[in-house]
Amino acid sequence: MTVQSTNRTDNLAAAADPEAAVSVPPPGTPQAPPPAGLLRFPLLRSSRFRLAVRRLLTAIPVVWGVTFLGFTVLNLLPGDAAQALLGADATPQEVAKLSHQLHLDQPFFTRYWNWLTSALSGHLGNSLGSGQQVTAILVQRLPVTFELLLYAFIVSLLIAIPVATFAARKPGGIFDSITTFIALVGLSVAPYILALLLILFFAVDLSLFPALGWTPISGGLGSNLRSLTLPALSLGFPIGCFYTRLLRADVLEQLDEDYVVTAHAKGLPGWRVLLRHATPNSMFGLITVVALNAGTFLGGTVIVEQIFGLPGIGEELFQAIQTRDSPVLEGIVVVFAVLVVVIGLLADLLYAALDPRIRYDNPGQ
Amino acid sequence: MAAVLLCAAAVAACSGKSTTGAAGPGGAAGGASATPGPQNSATPKPGGSFTMLEETGLTGAWPTGLDPATDGNGSANQSYLNAIYGNLFELGANGQTINDLATGYTITQDGKTVTIHLRQGVTFSDGTPFNAAAVAFNFKRDLASTVGDKPNWPVSSISTSGNYDVVIHLTQAYAPIINTFHDSNVNWIASPTALQKMGENAFKLAPVGAGPFTVVSDTVSSELVLKKNPHYWAKGQPYLDSLTFKSVASDEAALETMQAGGVDGYEGMQTPQLVSAFGKQFNVLDVPSTSPYVIQLNTAIAPFNNLNAREAVYYATDVNLIDQRLFGDLHPVTQGFTAPNGLFYEKSVPGYRTYDLAKAKAAVKAAGGVTVDLMATQSSVTQTVLEALQTMWQAAGMKVNIHVNQLANVIQQFQGNKWQASLQTAGAFDPAAGLGVNFRFGSKSVFSGVHDPKLDTMFANATSTLDNAKRGQLYNQAAEYISQNAYAPFLFPVNGWNIAAKNVSGPGLTTLLPASAVRPEILWAQVGFTGQ
Repeated sequence: MTVQSTNRTDNLAAAADPEAAVSVPPPGTPQAPPPAGLLRFPLLRSSRFRLAVRRLLTAIPVVWGVTFLGFTVLNLLPGDAAQALLGADATPQEVAKLSHQLHLDQPFFTRYWNWLTSALSGHLGNSLGSGQQVTAILVQRLPVTFELLLYAFIVSLLIAIPVATFAARKPGGIFDSITTFIALVGLSVAPYILALLLILFFAVDLSLFPALGWTPISGGLGSNLRSLTLPALSLGFPIGCFYTRLLRADVLEQLDEDYVVTAHAKGLPGWRVLLRHATPNSMFGLITVVALNAGTFLGGTVIVEQIFGLPGIGEELFQAIQTRDSPVLEGIVVVFAVLVVVIGLLADLLYAALDPRIRYDNPGQ
Repeated sequence: MAAVLLCAAAVAACSGKSTTGAAGPGGAAGGASATPGPQNSATPKPGGSFTMLEETGLTGAWPTGLDPATDGNGSANQSYLNAIYGNLFELGANGQTINDLATGYTITQDGKTVTIHLRQGVTFSDGTPFNAAAVAFNFKRDLASTVGDKPNWPVSSISTSGNYDVVIHLTQAYAPIINTFHDSNVNWIASPTALQKMGENAFKLAPVGAGPFTVVSDTVSSELVLKKNPHYWAKGQPYLDSLTFKSVASDEAALETMQAGGVDGYEGMQTPQLVSAFGKQFNVLDVPSTSPYVIQLNTAIAPFNNLNAREAVYYATDVNLIDQRLFGDLHPVTQGFTAPNGLFYEKSVPGYRTYDLAKAKAAVKAAGGVTVDLMATQSSVTQTVLEALQTMWQAAGMKVNIHVNQLANVIQQFQGNKWQASLQTAGAFDPAAGLGVNFRFGSKSVFSGVHDPKLDTMFANATSTLDNAKRGQLYNQAAEYISQNAYAPFLFPVNGWNIAAKNVSGPGLTTLLPASAVRPEILWAQVGFTGQ
């Protein structure tokens, strides 16, 4: 890996993307000969495209690894799917019969291989319990989780960016002190505690939002957003507090940079320096943390969906673990792994979009 | 009292002519001794949409779908199954068997042939006929299934007689046969045509029955939306236009959700400390359980293959104190496997060893010291009870390690037969039905700590005795025998509470019915809003 920059933000970018080389091309680099074949297309020649391809190729062993790990962990847990599905009152004979029906009596590697080959042909299998196709379960439940994640992410950014920016404007001031305290409280409170408090205040006392359930968009956008507001706050607020602390520190650091002093010297108003220059340049750290934090964010849906009774993928994951439903668990693991990889890739692409100086090259080239 | 009441039911059972709507063998439930909460029995008005909460950990989970033959959680899912399929027989107030899709039953003098008479003119919600062929198809399929809530009938064959009689041929008399309908999958009849047309996997997600409601949508273990069955056989019922079940994570979450509005009921609340909070705004129905908690002792291995060690546990356990301190004295302390709201309840067992610390210490000494691993399945109740037992037993000189495990782990422990003591529940409305007494005390059950042929014979005799008064006596003798041998001390059945909005009325929800399996049935066809 080559990092041709001493800028802190570039270091953070590199931390989020150990694969990528961030470089500023030296002047006078000779022109390469005209490309041939598929490389005639500009898109295919772009460093971003090549980065995406490299990332997606890297994702293959990652996704395989997490599916194998998931299968192994589920196999190590006490009890098996047949017992979990039949309950405590089933006889050993009944459990053995169902185990045979579900092929759970086959060796571990045989079962994993069967699942893997089936998954590679596009069939993620059927739930051991309900018999539903795993893809059908994902199609049914993923929209809820995606919507929750998006809403929570927006909430976290809506908290973090303005609060951090204005807190950094006068460090140690009243606004900074109050928001620092709130951010620390937000970081300390577990999402499930926050969820119960939000329900008590906004659902029970004020009757502003429902305490349970999800209304699809077909039931009206307003109702849909109302049903997701408290879950999104429960998930987004603690993470928003984390982002606030991080972004505030980055903005403060940027305000000490030479270009800020120059901007002030040129007579630019303080608010403009803050909003147009310091804050945008502080975003690299936030993007990095968002990418690194994607797994935690996804994991949070498991608890939040349980509390608010949202029929999303987190709730399904919880049930799949309880019933040792390996095909469902594996399907969800694949989705989560791909999501984390894609979010990381998006973060890399965003670096380049925010800073045109950044170019992703293969260090070997 | 129980014996007297049983005699009336026994006459009907033994006469060979049980008539429509008459009390069946369940006529002896001690409903009078239960402590019901506020009841709303007003007749509902037609219409309205009802939302019911179910707790995720038990009734709110249906991971294997809602086909009676494959639903591994059937006993806990009875609310959904009752709403979709109706019942052949219902368990009514005071333990009476009430006809629903069946119109009665006949048992021959030798008890080996049982004929179920079916209601005529009924169709499944897919328009196909509900008849003897459909019921016989379901019986055979249910009995061949692997689910735990299928009945333990000693069946030789099942046949039909005409269009509306199903005949069950038994190898021996089986007294609890009608009571087994209340807590097993044979009570719910699926449409064979729909099953064949849809296939098993699709059917379990959108099942078709002849009950008061039909399925609109099913998000497994999360939300089940039902609508009124326009072809339901009972005129004017169901009262509700739609019925939605939603899973909720905990009792606390259920309270907040109900307080926030838009939800009309919650089934099986388990936290005593929340009763008053619910009671401020809603009707709270006290629902006595029929399965007492028992401390199972594994008599096959040390230390409890020693009578002194078992006696020490009896003497060291202050059940009344646990009930007072942990549950506000809400639960009736028991000394056997029957409970006040079930059959054959016996409040006191002669010779039962009660709390006596001095005797406990002496028994520990006589046993040469007792070191015990005590386990339980994880729940809000078991954790605190285990800690209380640990304190009490340690005061008597025992060394006690407690383990609260997931169900799968508890099952593994039973199967390995290395466990020493386990806090579990035992019994059912009818001791021979469902998770009955054999499950915890029979030699053949892997979940039993007792392996005593004499006790097995006592249970077998009670099961095959058609005279319910004699059955009651036999179970009382069995309880006395368990007590004499100090096989397992009993604690109390842990009540639950059904919560409903003030303007709601319905059997099982706002008026008390006995618990058949896990919970009492809620008769959804008769639930509705009273407009108060």
